Amino acid sequence: MSIGRTSPQVRAGQYAALAAYVVFLGFPLVWLLSTAFKSTREIALGDSGLLPSSPTLTNFADAVDKANLFEAGRNSLVVALATTVLTVVVCLPAAYALARFRTILRPITLAWILISQVFPTILVIIPLFLILKQYRLLDALPGLAIVYVVFTLPFCLWMLIGFVAAIPRELEEAGAMDGASRLRILISIVMPLLRPGIIATALFAFISSWNEFLFALVLIQSPEKATLPLTLSRFVGAEGQVQLGALAAASLLATIPSLLFFALIQRRLSSGLLVGAVKG
Amino acid sequence: MTSTTPVPAPALPRDAKQPRRGRRPRREGRDAWLLLLPALVPVALFSVYPLLQGIYLGFTDSEAGLNQVTHFTGFENYADLLDNELFWSSFRIGLIWAFSVTILQFVSALGLALLLNQPLRLRWLARILALVPWAMPPVVVAIMWRLVYNPNNGPVSGLSQLLGLGQLNLLGDFGTALPAVIVVGVWAGMPQTTIALLAGLQSVDPSLHEAAAVDGAGAWSRLFHVTLPELRPVIIAITSLNFIWNVNTFDLIYVLTNGGPGGRTMLPMLFAYNEAFRYGNFGVAAAMGNVMVVLIVGFLLLYLRSRLKGIRE
Amino acid sequence: MNRNRTAAAAAASLALVLAGCATSTDDGGSNEGSGDGGPVELRFQSLAFQESTIEATQDIVDAWNEENPDAQVEYVQGSWDSVQDQLVTQFQGGTAPDIIQYESAAMTQFAQQGYLADLSDHLSDEVQSAVSDDIWQTVTFDDQVIAAPTLLQSYVVFANRDLLEEAGVEIPEGDTWSWDDFQAAAEATTQGDVHGLGWGLGDPTATMMSLGLNFGAQYFEGAGDEAEVQVGEAELALPERIHEMVYEDQSLDPVTLTQSGSDVMTQFLKGRYAMTVQGSYVAQTLAESAPKDLDWVVMPALEADTAEQAANPQTLSVSAQSEGVEQAAEFIDFYMQAEHLAAVAEGDWLIPASTDAAAVVEENTGGENGWSTILASGEFLTQAPFQAATSYPQWKDQIATPSFQRFLGDEISADELATELTEGWQSVNR
Repeated sequence: MSIGRTSPQVRAGQYAALAAYVVFLGFPLVWLLSTAFKSTREIALGDSGLLPSSPTLTNFADAVDKANLFEAGRNSLVVALATTVLTVVVCLPAAYALARFRTILRPITLAWILISQVFPTILVIIPLFLILKQYRLLDALPGLAIVYVVFTLPFCLWMLIGFVAAIPRELEEAGAMDGASRLRILISIVMPLLRPGIIATALFAFISSWNEFLFALVLIQSPEKATLPLTLSRFVGAEGQVQLGALAAASLLATIPSLLFFALIQRRLSSGLLVGAVKG
Repeated sequence: MTSTTPVPAPALPRDAKQPRRGRRPRREGRDAWLLLLPALVPVALFSVYPLLQGIYLGFTDSEAGLNQVTHFTGFENYADLLDNELFWSSFRIGLIWAFSVTILQFVSALGLALLLNQPLRLRWLARILALVPWAMPPVVVAIMWRLVYNPNNGPVSGLSQLLGLGQLNLLGDFGTALPAVIVVGVWAGMPQTTIALLAGLQSVDPSLHEAAAVDGAGAWSRLFHVTLPELRPVIIAITSLNFIWNVNTFDLIYVLTNGGPGGRTMLPMLFAYNEAFRYGNFGVAAAMGNVMVVLIVGFLLLYLRSRLKGIRE
Repeated sequence: MNRNRTAAAAAASLALVLAGCATSTDDGGSNEGSGDGGPVELRFQSLAFQESTIEATQDIVDAWNEENPDAQVEYVQGSWDSVQDQLVTQFQGGTAPDIIQYESAAMTQFAQQGYLADLSDHLSDEVQSAVSDDIWQTVTFDDQVIAAPTLLQSYVVFANRDLLEEAGVEIPEGDTWSWDDFQAAAEATTQGDVHGLGWGLGDPTATMMSLGLNFGAQYFEGAGDEAEVQVGEAELALPERIHEMVYEDQSLDPVTLTQSGSDVMTQFLKGRYAMTVQGSYVAQTLAESAPKDLDWVVMPALEADTAEQAANPQTLSVSAQSEGVEQAAEFIDFYMQAEHLAAVAEGDWLIPASTDAAAVVEENTGGENGWSTILASGEFLTQAPFQAATSYPQWKDQIATPSFQRFLGDEISADELATELTEGWQSVNR
């Protein structure tokens, strides 16, 4: 976006600003990393610098051991995967229908998408709690997954509708003219073009589910079914000594899966979202 | 979804679509319902119905308890809320929080997006770092910043001690708690805003910039008179969304300060949550939710109306 | 290609979801109790977080399970920080554990909502007589015993003996230590970098309610829903005394007023404070992590008009919705046996509510590491009115804590404090 030459001073200023951003964004992460490797003694003494003087892996062992991190991770993973798959499966046909067909459901759905963003979760959560109790889905991972799907749908629908709308109708009609059945058109023409959209949807659903806290807090009570954010939040406040090192290690471990997922998709992410955002 | 698509005459040009249109709407409608069913049913059951019931709860005296009977009480909850100092204090804090974080997020994300748009050498690093907060659960973000702000062994306090200012307990001090928490809010919200703005920036037609440059406009002038106006729809969209998301913040503050010290960071969602799940006053909590919605929607309408006046889309 | 992958993924996730379904219906089943003839399964949620305590509790559970094949207890780990909201949602959802660990002041709310079973008929005479009437009062609501008191703490002064001697302060011989002497000692030991006293009052209300009894502070009159807040001279005495020590004597380090007890302890270990007021259980930190050259001692109980402090015992209750109320209560009785309770008390470094158990602890520890003084301070624990007030937890969170913090931060005067506390109660206790 730069026109012509930018003077060296301006360049220097830009680099300085960039450096400031890098520090602001990166420093807390570095601190988290370093705390995870510091021994309890070093942390308790409180005058350690940025890097641990004698790095240790005991925090990680402690975290996994005491906090049932594996169990919580497994729970989070199961719920996130279920949410992702179900969301995509439900969202695709719905988005297609809403983008392509003239139906009264379209404005209703768009209205609901907007409304659901504005309404605070607190309003929904009490009745939801009672409804899930009726269906015996309270304190159960499937119940949580269903709730996640329902609440991720608005944003995913919005995105996918944009992606579907970006595919010219003519392509489908060309396929129809060549004698292909509707289903065939959908599979060979539309789906491949929707791939970035599907990926974006899957990513969003996975991350939303992985990071979610409030619903898990209210709807899951048994510790063995707790998801990662829940387990971590309870780690924080043990009356008395809080093992900061183990906490940092646990937090790191909890972030790795979503970071990985993110990294894998990252390259497709910006281009995909661009299309979706602009058309939406 | 079986299609009995009429077989068109082979030599028909593309724009002769009329014959098909006649039959579509009816089948379209039915097809649409079929395709939407898997989405509609759960949504109606777990989203729409609870929402309606939740709104209704705000007009009752619903409370926790074995065999409790709930009565419709009309506007009693709201009359009580008018007097409730704590609720209004929390609401005020929520507004300060939402406005500060949204504005700061916008400004810093804009700066970063502008930088990322320049051919600078280390920008891949900044780009990755800008995305990382998004992948981190808010709970983890809060934990991380609690470590940073820790008065005994955090770097912030350590730095202040080095500078001779003594221990700093930013999260525990009445005056500094809210600002400290706002910083965390900005940090956590950088990804979405930066990406949206960057995408917007990259779709601005370069010829506009060239034309302005030819007319002698400097970089800052170009920013204000070309870039920002072009970005208007994106800016409005992302700031509105951010505002809503920020008002509804819960996870971050629950783990970071749990509303303390002395209620200085008690955001309205946390306040309502405590009312419902700490003290068992479901009706009151729902009433708070209703009030929040009305006020937020009010703000948004005002904001959007003023902003959209200039856009002819 | 895509389709196959998607189908496979969908099948996999569906399988996972169904598997999840299977486990959830199982747990749903256990809460409803098994059919006749099968063992009753009880869930016991324990909040213990110290390794030693967890071990001791687990031992008790194992011992019980061996002796009682028809009533099997499952140990479930809970956490102090989240137990309040957790119990509210669990009671409402009907998924509360059968045996619940918590504290007496917070149980009143649940008792009033009808969620707790009456234990009076199920506890053995032995257990009942080993606990003083005063303490039984704290767990009685509407003439029903809704919890068994297990462990208590008192607030004690830990002191750095070397620093005291340097300043010429004498360590008293008797059972108590007057507030005036305490205040004087703090002043005397404040020199140079060292403050006489560090006091972690980040969460001040419990301290004010409890230690306030030293000065005769009642705070509440009446009980249950009828309770009213009254703040007079007696109630303001303690806050004002602390205020004095910070701003006039300058012997109490103001930085500590917003910190937690454990943060202040870190500094005490480094020799920054001559004394610190802490919960008695902090003796464990000292015993286990104090540097070798720190000669620490537990001072006798503080006394002004009296040496009384509020007894706010940890409790074990039975959920009224439980399928095995009788068996659950018997488990609690088992837990309260002298040997068992003593083991848990030693693990948590807390004072057992049962005098029998206290004797066992004294024997096992030889009274070392401050145990003697701490156990002795248990004699001064008595019921305080705030425990019977239904809306106390909400008042504590929303009104009392911020007001006390503001008063200690010198933002409001004592009169304003009194007004805020009384008026705040009105708004909370609708």
